[in-house]
Amino acid sequence: MTVRPGSFAFVALVCAVFLPCTPRVAPAAAAGKSLGVVYADGRQTEDVALAKLDKDSDELFVSAYDLARIFKATKFWNPDNRKLVLRIGNHRYMLTLDTRVVVVDETPVLLRMNVRFDEGSIMIPLEFIEGVLAPRSVEKIALDRTRLLLSIGSPEYNLTGIEIVDDKDGTRALLTLTDELLYHIDSDTPGILRLKIYGGRLNPLKFTMPEGKGLLNRVRAEQVEQDAYLFFDVKKTVLRYRVEFEGEEAASAAATGKKAPRKLVLFLERAKLPEIPGADFAGKKMVEMLDEGAKRKMIEPVRRIAVDPGHGGSDNGRMSSSGVKEKDVNLAIALMLRDRLKEELGVDVVMTRTEDVLVPLDERVEKANAAGAQLFVSIHCNGWFTSDAEGFEVFFLAPARNEEEARLGRDENASVSYEKQNASEESGGDIDFILWDMVQNEYLTESSDLAEMVQREMGTSLGIRNRGVKQTGLRVLKGLKMPGVLIEAAFLSNPKEEQLLLSPEFRERFIESAIEAIRKFQGRYPGKG
Amino acid sequence: MIRTKGWRSIAIALAMLAVIVAAIYLVPRLRTKGPAEVQKVSEEMRAVTIFFGNKSADGFVSETREVPVAQGFEDQVKLVLAELIKGSRDSDKISAMPDSTALIQVFWVEDTQTLVLDFNNALVANHPGGSAGEYYTISNVVKTVSANFPQVARVQFLVEGNQVESIAGHYAVDKPIDVKKWR
Repeated sequence: MTVRPGSFAFVALVCAVFLPCTPRVAPAAAAGKSLGVVYADGRQTEDVALAKLDKDSDELFVSAYDLARIFKATKFWNPDNRKLVLRIGNHRYMLTLDTRVVVVDETPVLLRMNVRFDEGSIMIPLEFIEGVLAPRSVEKIALDRTRLLLSIGSPEYNLTGIEIVDDKDGTRALLTLTDELLYHIDSDTPGILRLKIYGGRLNPLKFTMPEGKGLLNRVRAEQVEQDAYLFFDVKKTVLRYRVEFEGEEAASAAATGKKAPRKLVLFLERAKLPEIPGADFAGKKMVEMLDEGAKRKMIEPVRRIAVDPGHGGSDNGRMSSSGVKEKDVNLAIALMLRDRLKEELGVDVVMTRTEDVLVPLDERVEKANAAGAQLFVSIHCNGWFTSDAEGFEVFFLAPARNEEEARLGRDENASVSYEKQNASEESGGDIDFILWDMVQNEYLTESSDLAEMVQREMGTSLGIRNRGVKQTGLRVLKGLKMPGVLIEAAFLSNPKEEQLLLSPEFRERFIESAIEAIRKFQGRYPGKG
Repeated sequence: MIRTKGWRSIAIALAMLAVIVAAIYLVPRLRTKGPAEVQKVSEEMRAVTIFFGNKSADGFVSETREVPVAQGFEDQVKLVLAELIKGSRDSDKISAMPDSTALIQVFWVEDTQTLVLDFNNALVANHPGGSAGEYYTISNVVKTVSANFPQVARVQFLVEGNQVESIAGHYAVDKPIDVKKWR
């Protein structure tokens, strides 16, 4: 039973391991069932094919190949004695084909069904996950058989509950959060409200509701990397909606540092006949439901845009293995973007640099602010320690990154409002008292919208992996008096993407999608200032 | 003359020898203890969790390691971060610490729960660049610290004793980073 490294059996086993475990689709297609797998470690949610192999039992089987991938198992297959060994965590599981026996470390346990061989794959009953793996796993493994959902790992959830309440005014979805998180909602898909909660961690099993209540048909939840998504499928009779933290006015109490669970509320207002024109919700941000996505009137378009080519001068940024410098690629793309923005959108463009010089981050922000730009777009290329990482990503600034800054901001704001009460009407300049972080926070919604738009356009046209929108404390976006995003076009550390970054076709697609996103942004926002 | 010259060179040689001996003896004692010099008082081991970036730079992967139990808190931090710097044998676990990075000193500021980490210049000079790379350099340190030392509320990066604006031009590290807010 023990296989020693170096022995013939070991070599045979290692060599043979991948052969019978190649991926396949056929058996599952026959059963037509799949298992949704939700990871807590940042891996994408995926669907794994299942197969029903026994006509007398409803038990479903998963291939050893999929199982090993899901649980990051090291697998060994010995065709001579038809034994499969999976090493998962600190345990070793030995399964034998056409038997019910699983030897866990040294102890045998019995399954109800045999491990099978079907259409070129070793097939393992789901019972193995539930009864054998789950009790021995350090990570939490939860298999929901009715919904065919498997969740692995138990992160510290900061979205802990959902409750749907329906009354005569409309329907409320109350989400319990342990922390106040930033969110973004859009209705770009007709009938679906997409709520993205930045940094939200939820258990999709708990938040997915196949049957809703009132104006909600159903709710679907997803964890995509660091962010949580809730998709609310709403009825046509929803007049408008709004999202806010419950008791927003009492939020100042948070300054005491007490961390109590907050409720984020999505309110769907029921259309009434005759319609009361929002009397109950005066002053609240209600958004009209539109059939064809968020079509908003263009009142006063963005007229001046700051374009920021990252790095420069002595700061090369990332250097590719063949010696291509990020600063040069950034500048070339940014200059191209400048010309095309002028041409196609007829806007003014302010550049933070037009040559190979080092411009401090603060100065870039100052330049954009001083020029009265209404949008800030920073162009970068990414880099990683190996050549594996790929794709583009879009960033916008996170709110006050550390507690001290946030507290300072609150204190300063409190003193500003105090001074205002005691001073004459004309006392201006209070903006100077507010930390820059707080200034940028004013543009969070716009920045996140712009980031989402850029991501969507580039996602369809760049043809490389879409790493999504991320919210972090990027230094160059701090202190901007306008919405701002930073785009990491692709990875210079990846030779394939390096070639793309140098190719005119890829650059063209990049510029086109950036312009398209800005055009959409112009349509949605009148522009500040 | 020749005789005097001979004595002089012997005297110089002796003086130089004395300096070398003194240096060998004193320098390690004057310098703060590096990870290798942390005194091990017992053979007691402690399991610690080290956070790495994954191969595609889109998630964290952790690894459990055994390190000796150190006498002081600062020494324990050094031993744990030395494991991060050392990296993993698993090719899917990327330690986002630039080549030759070393942790020179660790200070613990009790009243503000701030852990000050003083790295050598390699952290900045050898950083390959890219915001993903920089993000994981900071995150791997912050996450590893917070996973093993829950008393730490803030982490302050220093490079050879000085505050730096950023490691590779994207993220500000001049001020302490709140471990709970960092993401």
